[in-house]
Amino acid sequence: MRKPWYSIFYVKSPIAKIGLGILAVLAGIVLVLFLMATENKRMDAQTASWEGRSIEKGASLFIANCASCHGLDGKGLPVVAPALNSRYFFSQRIDDVGFTGSLKQYVKGTIHSGRPSKVSTQWVNIMPTWSNQVGGPLREDQVDQLVDFVLNWEEEAMAQTPEEDPWQFFQDSLSKQLPYSPDEPGYDEKVAEAIAAAEAAGAVGYEIGGVAAEAPTEGEGDAAAGPRAPEDLFASLGCAGCHNINADQTDESKGPVGPNLGNLADHAGSRVDGEDAETYVHQSIVDPGAFVVPGYMNGVMPQNFADQMSEDEIQGLVEWLLSH
Amino acid sequence: MAVQPEVEKKGLWRSFTEGADDIFTRITAGISAGEFRRMLRGEPPGRPNPRLKPHSEAFLLHIKPTYYHESVTRFTHTFRLGILSTYLFLFETITGIFLMIWYTPSPDQAYADMIAILSNVPYGQFMRDLHRLGAEMMVAIVTLHMVRTYLTGSYKPPRQFTWFTGVILLVVTLFLSFSGYLLPWDQLAFWAVTIGTSMAEAVPPKIVGETVNLLARGAPDISANGLLRFYLLHVLFLPLVLFLFFFVHYYKVVHFGISLPASEEEVGQDTANKVPADKRVYFLPDVLIDETAVLIAFTTLMIFLVTFFFSAPLESIANPQSTPLHTVAPWYFYWLQGMLKIADKTFAGVILPGVLLVLLMAIPYLDPNPSRRVRDRRVAIISGIVAGVVMIILSWMGTPQYAAQAAPPVEVVQEMMPEEGAGIVREIGYDEIPNGVYDTRNDLPAMYPEEEYPGMHEILVEFEDNIKYWDKRDSDFNEAYGVLTVSQEQPNLKRLDWDIRWLDAEGVEGSFQRSFWLHKDSLYWEEYGLKDFGYLMPTEEEQ
Ligand code: HEC
Ligand code: HEC
Ligand code: HEM
Repeated sequence: MRKPWYSIFYVKSPIAKIGLGILAVLAGIVLVLFLMATENKRMDAQTASWEGRSIEKGASLFIANCASCHGLDGKGLPVVAPALNSRYFFSQRIDDVGFTGSLKQYVKGTIHSGRPSKVSTQWVNIMPTWSNQVGGPLREDQVDQLVDFVLNWEEEAMAQTPEEDPWQFFQDSLSKQLPYSPDEPGYDEKVAEAIAAAEAAGAVGYEIGGVAAEAPTEGEGDAAAGPRAPEDLFASLGCAGCHNINADQTDESKGPVGPNLGNLADHAGSRVDGEDAETYVHQSIVDPGAFVVPGYMNGVMPQNFADQMSEDEIQGLVEWLLSH
Repeated sequence: MAVQPEVEKKGLWRSFTEGADDIFTRITAGISAGEFRRMLRGEPPGRPNPRLKPHSEAFLLHIKPTYYHESVTRFTHTFRLGILSTYLFLFETITGIFLMIWYTPSPDQAYADMIAILSNVPYGQFMRDLHRLGAEMMVAIVTLHMVRTYLTGSYKPPRQFTWFTGVILLVVTLFLSFSGYLLPWDQLAFWAVTIGTSMAEAVPPKIVGETVNLLARGAPDISANGLLRFYLLHVLFLPLVLFLFFFVHYYKVVHFGISLPASEEEVGQDTANKVPADKRVYFLPDVLIDETAVLIAFTTLMIFLVTFFFSAPLESIANPQSTPLHTVAPWYFYWLQGMLKIADKTFAGVILPGVLLVLLMAIPYLDPNPSRRVRDRRVAIISGIVAGVVMIILSWMGTPQYAAQAAPPVEVVQEMMPEEGAGIVREIGYDEIPNGVYDTRNDLPAMYPEEEYPGMHEILVEFEDNIKYWDKRDSDFNEAYGVLTVSQEQPNLKRLDWDIRWLDAEGVEGSFQRSFWLHKDSLYWEEYGLKDFGYLMPTEEEQ
């Protein structure tokens, strides 16, 4: 019988088979040893990789959920929400609040359950609750991804000089020291800023950077000093954080957080039927939710400006805005 | 005999060697050291054959036949596919137990456990890759084993029932693989299994379908309960069923003997008990050496593949609220997915596969052809080949290539940076993607030449080609261009904004935007393909 071509596979010799087996065992051992030698590096790379992916997901969650308050760059918006991309936040914040865990735990706790209380806070809205375990919209793993993303600012934030640090004064750090030593450039400006912010927030009896101050108590200080100038109000109440007064609001260029106010006079009279420009702007300040400019979110602009200014001041601000 | 009198009688050396030989014989269940030496030298056994003793003494060996017909020991007769199937089952059990040590079958834990296995357990990724590759191999090898027994006509009398139990083993193997698919609890797992179990729902009448679905998932949707059920099926119930039917199957194989080549055995002829003495190949030592060598070589092949070419995928954690674009079943179910695209769920998902399965089991009882020779079995062999080709076509139709395309701009971005998995951009990675604005209306490949920007060049060429491809194909996608903006979002984190613009058939402008982020440390691997060992390079600090 003629042997078919594939008869080369009819290996009979036990020596050849034993040889193959021994070779295979040796090759297998070499491979396993190679893996053993590289295993630590592989595990490190995997650990970093999964953290990297978590940060990637956190970034998209942050843009969708947090940027409207904490800013696209995490540097916070005046009166709305504190900066997270801040040297103060990474170096000093948890000591200030007296938190005993790590910064990671602090951030996780805050995002997980928010700060569901309005008591003694200078921010217009509360920090919402996010985890679905406590009634929020996000899953726990998404909260973890946000934590990884927020903490990934550390390198950038720690490189900030005191002037660059977007940190804003916190009411709950009233009795605490400023984060930077007096030797650092920009220290005096920070102290002055913090005092101004403390005053604007109506704080009483605080100490900032070793400067003890008595903030004016309700009403009397205002009355004594007379109405504040509209341009000062625009800065100190944080309007400038959301509105650009020097740019026009057009279809091509829209303010990212709140509308640009450069050409407010052109359309203020036509926004709401039956309201002239003055009435409309007045209402926009004291009750921003009454009319929401299309393309913007209700509830972003603080609702409590009426409590922070006298009626005269509001009038002055309205006129200044319309004539600017 | 007590030690002292024995030593006195035989002398120290002899009692020692006899004692050693006795122990050796006990360990080998009947082979003395001298006989073992003769085996290694290749000397023929004496008569009566002392090498048969282990088959009656040792439990594991009593299952094995004492000798085979020379013709069936040829590699090209069985390709060792049956023994490899058996071995893969053992292999999966061992690697599976390793994974079980770290795995908790709960939606809160499962995914985190997978990540821990990959990043915190020495040899964890290795074991997971082996287990996954083993599972896919097992499906492939069991199928090939079926093909070989079909082509050699081995299912014909008296081996009809062997084939029948074989089909049961095939089904159990598929279910084993499928139930394991859910356990990592990532998007891939969750959606493949959601689609799979939704077929159970289509079983008519409605009430039966719904009940089956409810029993499998443990709730209307897969959740904690469903995961636990799949876990128990995967690690306990299905292996037990497979174990049982394997022994039935193998008992039949030994009982009838492996079929000889068609030219040497007529249908119905009993060859198992009438092997001429000169054709006998004894299990000890010849077949044992052969099988051991094959299994060791196969193991090394698996280790080699896993070290360099195979990585089990792990996508984002399962999210019942969002179905990723282009969810696919595992490849061995592509054919089913293909059928589902052209017919409705009840017919293509339940009735047709059911009928096919019954037909497959019934083949030995339906095939009236009394010959096993290829030239007499033209119809059987041609229909077998046609069935194979149909399966391949259906499988191709099961991939997203066929009739599951989203709108062109979505496809373009999906091709570059898919919602789940790697894709070319992520594989090339952070380091090779400079920040900037890339507008395909400019001649990007020329602006970013290959020598200077190897990775970015590849990405841009691909981006342009993809847009052009869809521009040609889709009449609603004209004068299209894309702009990719890469910016630094955070330290080590880039943001990639994809913006595709086009004119539709009426000339109305359309646009599509999608943003993704890419971290420096993220490693993305394709399931099949050379692994990236970049992490072995010293880092910048170390240099
Ligand atoms: C409605 C506006 C708003 C949104 C949206 C918001 N925050 Fe906040 N966030 C705040 C306010 C206000 C505070 C300060 C709360 C306080 O101290 O009382 C704060 C505080 C925090 C803090 C603690 C800062 C510190 O120094 O104590 C973190 C961390 C934080 N937010 C993260 C997030 C993340 C992450 C998101 C998105 C999931 C988010 N925030 C969404 C308003 C918001
Ligand atoms: C946290 C961000 C934020 C701050 C702070 C803020 N605004 Fe606004 N403002 C908005 C948003 C968002 C809108 C548009 C939605 C709406 O109409 O409520 C808006 C709308 C307005 C409008 C109507 C604009 C138009 O085009 O119709 C005026 C006027 C205005 N703000 C004035 C002010 C003044 C004055 C202050 C400071 C006292 C201030 N805003 C502080 C976010 C802010
Ligand atoms: C887990 C799955 C399976 C295992 C472990 C298994 C195991 C085996 C083994 C060890 C043999 C001995 C001969 C050889 O190696 O080819 C065998 C033979 C056989 N198997 Fe399987 N098998 C499986 C699945 C199947 C399937 C799916 C079929 C067909 C539908 C099948 C049909 C047969 C037949 C007909 C024989 C006899 C072959 C002959 O006599 O030539 N088996 N099986």
